[in-house]
Order: sequence, then C-alpha cells, then structure tokens
Amino acid sequence: MQTKLDRREFIKLAGAAGVAAARPFQQTTAPGPDAAEKDLVMLALDAARSAGASYADVRITRGNTELVATRERQITNVSKNETYGIGIRALVGGSWGFAATRDLARNSVAAAARQAAAIARSNDRINPVKTTLASVQKFPDGRWMTPHEVDPFTIPIEQKAQLLFKTNEEALRVKGVRFVTSSISSIRESRLLGTTEGSLIQQTFFRIGPNVNVTAVSDDNGDFQTRNAVLAPRGAGWEYVLGLQMQENVLRWAEEAAAKLTATPVQPGLWDLVLHPSHLWLTIHESIGHPTELDRAMGYEANFAGTSFLSPPEKVLNKFRYGPAFMNIVGNRTESGGCSTCGWDDEGVPAQSWLIVDKGVFVNYQTTREMASWISNLTKVRESLGTAYGQDWASIPFPRMPNVSLQPNTQDVSEEDVIAATKHGIYIEGDGSYSIDQQRYNFQFGGQVFWEIKDGKRIRMLRDVAYQARTPNFWNSLALAGGKSTYRLGAALNDGKGQPQQLNAVSHGCPIALFRNVNVINTG
Amino acid sequence: MQNTNAKRHGLSADESRQLCDKILGLARADHTRINITSGIQGFTRTAINRITTAGETNNVTVRITSIFGKRVASVDTNRLDDAALERAVRDAEALAKIAPENPEYLPELAEQKYMPVDGYYASTGDLTTESRARAASLGIKAADASKFVAAGFIDVAAGSQAVATSNRLFGYYSGTAVASTLTIRTPDGLSSGWAGDEDADWNTIESERIAEDALRKCRAWRGKTALDPGKYEVILEPTAAGMLMSRMLGVFDARQADEGRSSFSKRGGGNRLGEKLFDERVTIISNPAEKNAETSPFTNAGQPVQREVWVDKGVLKSLAYSRFWAMKQGVAPKANPSNFVMSGGDASLDDMIKSVKRGVLITRLWYIRGLNPRVISFTGLTRDGTFLIENGKIARPVTNFRFNQSLSELLANVEVLGRPTRVAADESGAAGTPVMVPPLKVRNFTLASVSDAI
Repeated sequence: MQTKLDRREFIKLAGAAGVAAARPFQQTTAPGPDAAEKDLVMLALDAARSAGASYADVRITRGNTELVATRERQITNVSKNETYGIGIRALVGGSWGFAATRDLARNSVAAAARQAAAIARSNDRINPVKTTLASVQKFPDGRWMTPHEVDPFTIPIEQKAQLLFKTNEEALRVKGVRFVTSSISSIRESRLLGTTEGSLIQQTFFRIGPNVNVTAVSDDNGDFQTRNAVLAPRGAGWEYVLGLQMQENVLRWAEEAAAKLTATPVQPGLWDLVLHPSHLWLTIHESIGHPTELDRAMGYEANFAGTSFLSPPEKVLNKFRYGPAFMNIVGNRTESGGCSTCGWDDEGVPAQSWLIVDKGVFVNYQTTREMASWISNLTKVRESLGTAYGQDWASIPFPRMPNVSLQPNTQDVSEEDVIAATKHGIYIEGDGSYSIDQQRYNFQFGGQVFWEIKDGKRIRMLRDVAYQARTPNFWNSLALAGGKSTYRLGAALNDGKGQPQQLNAVSHGCPIALFRNVNVINTG
Repeated sequence: MQNTNAKRHGLSADESRQLCDKILGLARADHTRINITSGIQGFTRTAINRITTAGETNNVTVRITSIFGKRVASVDTNRLDDAALERAVRDAEALAKIAPENPEYLPELAEQKYMPVDGYYASTGDLTTESRARAASLGIKAADASKFVAAGFIDVAAGSQAVATSNRLFGYYSGTAVASTLTIRTPDGLSSGWAGDEDADWNTIESERIAEDALRKCRAWRGKTALDPGKYEVILEPTAAGMLMSRMLGVFDARQADEGRSSFSKRGGGNRLGEKLFDERVTIISNPAEKNAETSPFTNAGQPVQREVWVDKGVLKSLAYSRFWAMKQGVAPKANPSNFVMSGGDASLDDMIKSVKRGVLITRLWYIRGLNPRVISFTGLTRDGTFLIENGKIARPVTNFRFNQSLSELLANVEVLGRPTRVAADESGAAGTPVMVPPLKVRNFTLASVSDAI
C-alpha cells in the first residue's frame, strides 16, 4: 500500500477514486505477482524440495488494515497495520511441517523452507497415517481481485471520521442515549501462492467492516441497554459503506436502544420466531456452517472447536434430514460480496459453489485436498471443494468455512407475508449473545431488537430475549422462508478455529424466515 | 532463577533500545511512542492419534504512535529495514496530522520506575520441535493403548516487549508461556475426557499426568445418563473455575462504572467501591511478579502495572482508572489487571466432593458468552467430564448442560475454596493471560438445559 503523505494528496486520490467508481469492476485488471516476491516463492519451493519435501506450498502475504474509531464527539483510534512475511508448508513422507518468517532475506527464506521440511520429517517419524492430496489443476498465472468500485484506502481518514462523527451526533439527539461508538475497518490483503505442482496465483482481497453501537442509560443509572447496528462486514470497497446510509439509519438504532429501557420483559415459553437475515446469518454459521466441516466430523478439532453431530459420514451423508424439503444450503466461495469469496483457495483449488443441504437432506461437507478422498466414495466428488485457508503468512492453511447460505424461497414471499403468517411470535433483528455446544446441538442466541407479533402484526417491543434449541429440531421447525427480495448477507471478520487459533472472514446469505414453537428464555 | 546464558527468543533489551532510538531519531512529531513485540510461537498439534501439524513462526512487530498536539495516530509494521522504518514513521506522522483531535489525550509519560519482573524460563524458550513431539506422543500412546482417540495441542510463546517514548521513557520485559491440553475420546464418540496445564515454565508441565487424567476422565464419563436441568450445588474444577473467573478481567473499569454501564455502577450515580459484594472468602488480586504467572510490569502506553487488590474479603477494593479518567476524577491512575489471581483455601478436590450431598462436578466449560453485563451473567456449556455427586461420592456420569449464570451471584454463593493453581483458561488452548484460581464449590448454579454434545 502506498500511503500518501499529506492532506492534499489524500484528497487528490479520493478524487481519482471517484472517477474509478464510474467504471464497472473487471477481473482482468487484477494485478499479477511482484517479480521479487515470485523469486522468493520459487527459492522457497526449491529449498523445500531439496530438503526432501514431496509437496510444498509457499505463501507470501501482505496484510494492510486501517482503523478509524470514535466515541461520541471524539476520536479514539486512528491506526494502520502492515504485516508481511512468508509461510512454507512442506509434506515429507506423508506428514506436515510449517515454518514462517518475517525476514525476507534469501538465506532466511531458504532456512525457513528447510525448517518446515525438518519439522515434517520429525513428525513423520512417529506418524502412523500418511497424508495424501487430491489432484488439482495447475494454474501457472492465476490472478484475482475482490470486485470493488472504490479502494477504501484511497478515502481520507478525515472523511471517514466525519462520517462517523455525523452518525454519532444523530444518535446523541435521542433522549436517553448517552454513548455511541463507531468505527470503520478497511482491509487489503495481497496473497501470492506457489506450489511445487506448478501453480502461481496472485490474489488481492478487499474487505470493509463498519460498526455503530449505541448505549442508552436510564435517568437513575439503574439500567442500560445497547443497540448494535449489526452492519455486516463485506468483501467490497468504500461504495458499500456509502450504501449503508449510516447517518440516516442511526436515528432508528438510537431510538431502539432507548426504547429497550422500557420494553416489556419477554414471557418465557414456546414462541414462533421471525428471524431477520441480520440475525439468522449467525444461526446458520453456528448450526450449519461449523457442523458440516469435514475435519471437525473426523476428530481433527476435538481438542478445541469440537467435533460434529454429523458423523460418521457414512451414516449421515444423503440420509440426515436437516430441515424441510424447501431448505437448500449452498457452500459458495463465489458469492458476490462474500467475505470468504476468492478466486482460488490456499491450495490453488478454484473457488466453487456446491450444495451442502439439498431439499432438506445433508449431501456434502466442506473439504480440502487432504480430505477429499475420505468421503469421495459417498459423494462421488474426487477433488477438493476448495476450503483451505491460512489467516496470514504466519498461519498454516487448514479447512476454513466458505460462505454458507440458505437459499431464498422461489416464490416472491415478502417480510410482510412472513409476519402475517405468524400468530404468536417474536421478530428478532440483529445478532446478540451466541453460544453453541462442541458438537453443534444445543444453542442459545440473543439478538438486538425484539418485537412481539400477535395475529400477524408487530405490536410492541420486548427485551431480554434469547432462544434455546437443538439444531435438528430447530431447522425442522422452519415453516416459511422469504423470497429473493428479502435475501441479505451477514458476516464476521473473526471466526475462530484451529490451534493455534486462526481467524477467518466469512459471510452467510439468507432470507427472512419463520420457525415454529421455539423455546424462548428471559435473560434479564 | 529462570535465567540462563542461552540466547533468548525475541529482541534483547539492548537490541530493543537501539531499535527504539533509531525510530525516535527518525521522528519529527511533537511526541512519539514505540512499542515492540518480538519472539517465536511454536506449536504441535495432534488428532486421531497422530501429529497433524507442527510449526514455528518468528516475528517482530513495531508500533509507532505519532502525536501532534492532541492529534494521535499509529502504524504497525513488521518490516525493519531502514527504508521501511522511515516510511512507517512518515506514515504515522501523516496520519496523525490529519486525524481529528482527541480531547482526552494526555502527554506521553516520562521515565517510569517499573517493578523488576523476569518472566522468561529457558525450559520453555529452548523447547525443541522434537521435545514437543515427544511430549505430544505421550497422549497418543495413552490413547492408543486403550484403543481410544487423542487430540492435543502444545502452544509455546517466548519473546519480549519494549516501550519507549520521546520523553525518555523505556521499558523492557521478556517472558515465556506454554500450554499443553489433551482431549481423549472413545472411538464410538460416546465419551470424552480432557486435561491440561499452563505455565510460564515448561518444567512444571506434567505431560504424563495430563495423559493419565484425560484418559481417566474419558473412561469415567462413559455411560453418561440424563439429569434434569435446574439449580445445583456444583464443584468447578480449577479449569472450569478459571474459564469463568477470567471473564472478570474486563469488569474492573472505573469509567464504565461511573458512567452507569457496569455491574459496579451505583444507582443514582457513582460506583460501588467499598461495598461488600461477594462472599468474604473471595479475594482477587493481580500481580505482574506472580511466580509462574509473570506478566509485563507496564502497559502499552508505558504506565506501570502494580500489584493490586481488586476484591478483598468480598469487598470491591479497586477499580482501574485510565490516566484521563483518573485526572477527571482526581485520583491516581491504575492499570487494568494483567493477570488474575484468586485466593483459595485448604480443601482438596476430594474433600470438596465429600462435602456435597447432591451436586454436579464440572471439568471444563465451552463457548462462554456474555448475557447481561449488569449482573455479569454468562452462558456456556459443560464439556469433557460432567458427573453427579451424591452423598459425598461420584454417583454417575451425566449429560452436558448449558449454564446461564451471573458471576456476581456465583462469587456471593461460594461455599468452599480449594488450593489455587494456574490453569489453561483459554478455550482455544493458547497460552494466554495467566489465571490462577482454586477449585470452587458453589450453591445455586443454574444448569439451564441439557446438551447432547459429547
């Protein structure tokens, strides 16, 4: 990233970005590899091979983030972060070794490659089972870039701060609102991947994560309530932030924070739930995204993230009924705007889309090259589905979640139609507290705003709502899904998995949806 | 004690000072602050009775914070060549010039006196890939011998931190941390047991005992049966207690309390300092020099971190004050706790079990998330060994539960405290913020619903 040095240059750049915004994004403009980085990748691959690796992959990543954060009328953080280095994964005799360094001198890179091979060899001495990799097409000049209109790093810090200050000011106009925090994170990441099988792939990712959080406090300091706007991060440029209209919408979020102070505490019991996409995405993430990771199902994450109720594969694939016949779930690394969207995964497997749940039945997991053969006799899919990902140069690639999305109703069902189909229910907007067990059965989710629905109409605000359910029962209580017009993406930049823990950015699309007779508790 | 002549991981004090001086020499801002974090992270990971991955990463990260008046901005980089450092300094200064003013900014600290702490243990810093693999293989062998399945993680961190300001402040700390955790499951997936240790010193990590304990738990939990949810007397083993108590690390903030958005806010205004809120046997301190749980004696801003008593015999004794909030309230600044040390009693775990007429023994917890900050309540699940106790004895293994529990109430409902120990309190198995807690016997713990998970 070329950071400019003065205000005038910042503004000049912003002007240039404005011109760029008029042009539709073309994937053909994605940059290719830097010559020096390409040389280092080749050097590391050679060194790993010479040290005995039967396979190696090398990633040079340069991650840039910029954060502008405020509270009320003041700035709390302006920062930029750059992390740059090389990670080498080597396979020796069927065992993995990994080494990474920030030192990009040629001798250090070669030493790290040899170290990766030496660690692999050390592990292989005691490993009874050998890793094999599914075949993959070679891509000697792969290039991809997140589709975007305006590079967020070209927007001046002052412009971002002003947008946040104006948003905060609007919120503070509401009686009872005492605190507002807001921020914008901009992320750009360059990834150059080389493999001993001949692929060389350069990708450039953009992600942007805005956030607004409003707190209202009662007059006597006896109670406080927060309303997080739940603005989903997106694989996109600055145009996404502008489209959110934070200044215009914050008034509603602030009024809702204040209204929560005097809202009616929920009566625990069985309620129908109308779940807005800004809430439902997280339920999908936890109760469908994670249990359909094949490494979990096979015990690879047993010591931390856990295993999966969807196991063993031969007992559940093509047999387990996840939900009703109109329920279709897709794993999709090509979803427009998705935080996990890419051109290739970290093993050089092309991005793709596949059914995980087909007409309510579980039909496939998420796989990498190491895992594809474990279930290919059941799925007839011999190649990886492309879910390998390492957080950065310092992190070993392993299976991470693609965008996993609930497909909308083929009929044009609106939000009003879904509410009208509800007699005794709660409408939940925004994600709140969330927790699920280590096999993904028992979960409990809160939210941001809760409205009681009576006889097909939203009548009053409720508070302290959370629902507890068992995954298969919950999804089989899905009664109605909204149409395409209600479909939205939710997302997180910080999904944790693995030891050492790595973070993954992932999106989940879904329509508004109605679930019958779910157990609701009062968390007050 | 922990010092040897061997080269430590991470930059030395001299190297750190030289790097800080070089960067400060490039600076043109009114004030500049430098933070350096350096060192290695090594790991070995097992699953399905094999080593699945292992690796080592070394890194140096420099944060440059530039200040013009009350305009503040920072740049992080891990590129240390002269040109890259100069670019990072210029970037930080350019950002600071255009950043809006922060009215709460206070001038950089001058030279400070820090308590002397050396948290670097050579036993941890010198640990090799081969030694990690040998330790990991003990868990695999124990599981293999019983035809069970092991998954484990050994996480090692060794390195240093430094802080410097253009007002001549300099601080340096060097430390290590290691965590070793192990889950053993039956091949049919119907039982699971866990054990783990965490410390600054690898020599205290008992790999054989971890393997034995995880295997014992897995054996004992076989044949679990249903138990109704409800309020129970529970015994939280040290790891379970630590996983909950570590959630208290973030609640001792004076500003949150004074502003009316904390469990320690007083109705009508102010905070609850001096009030007796918990059982009188509850005492919570933090101390950077705590043996085997050492932490840096300074914050990123260079503020000294002292030994602090947060809760003394059940009374809220201290709250943390940022420099700005301290000035506004007319008190001395006080840094947040850097570790969590809770006093205990003399009871052994067996003594505690013997004292229970009907209750539940909990090994560890999972997916703990906040519910209501007003009462410091959390939800989460039990995991890897949950047992019904009847008439002073383990009666039978029972299903896992989701709990919904206020920590304020928990600390008021403590019945017996055992001997404190450092625990692997991070759900991810990472060697993290040191947490030393006793096992706890607590009444009226809410096990809200059954979880089928194993």
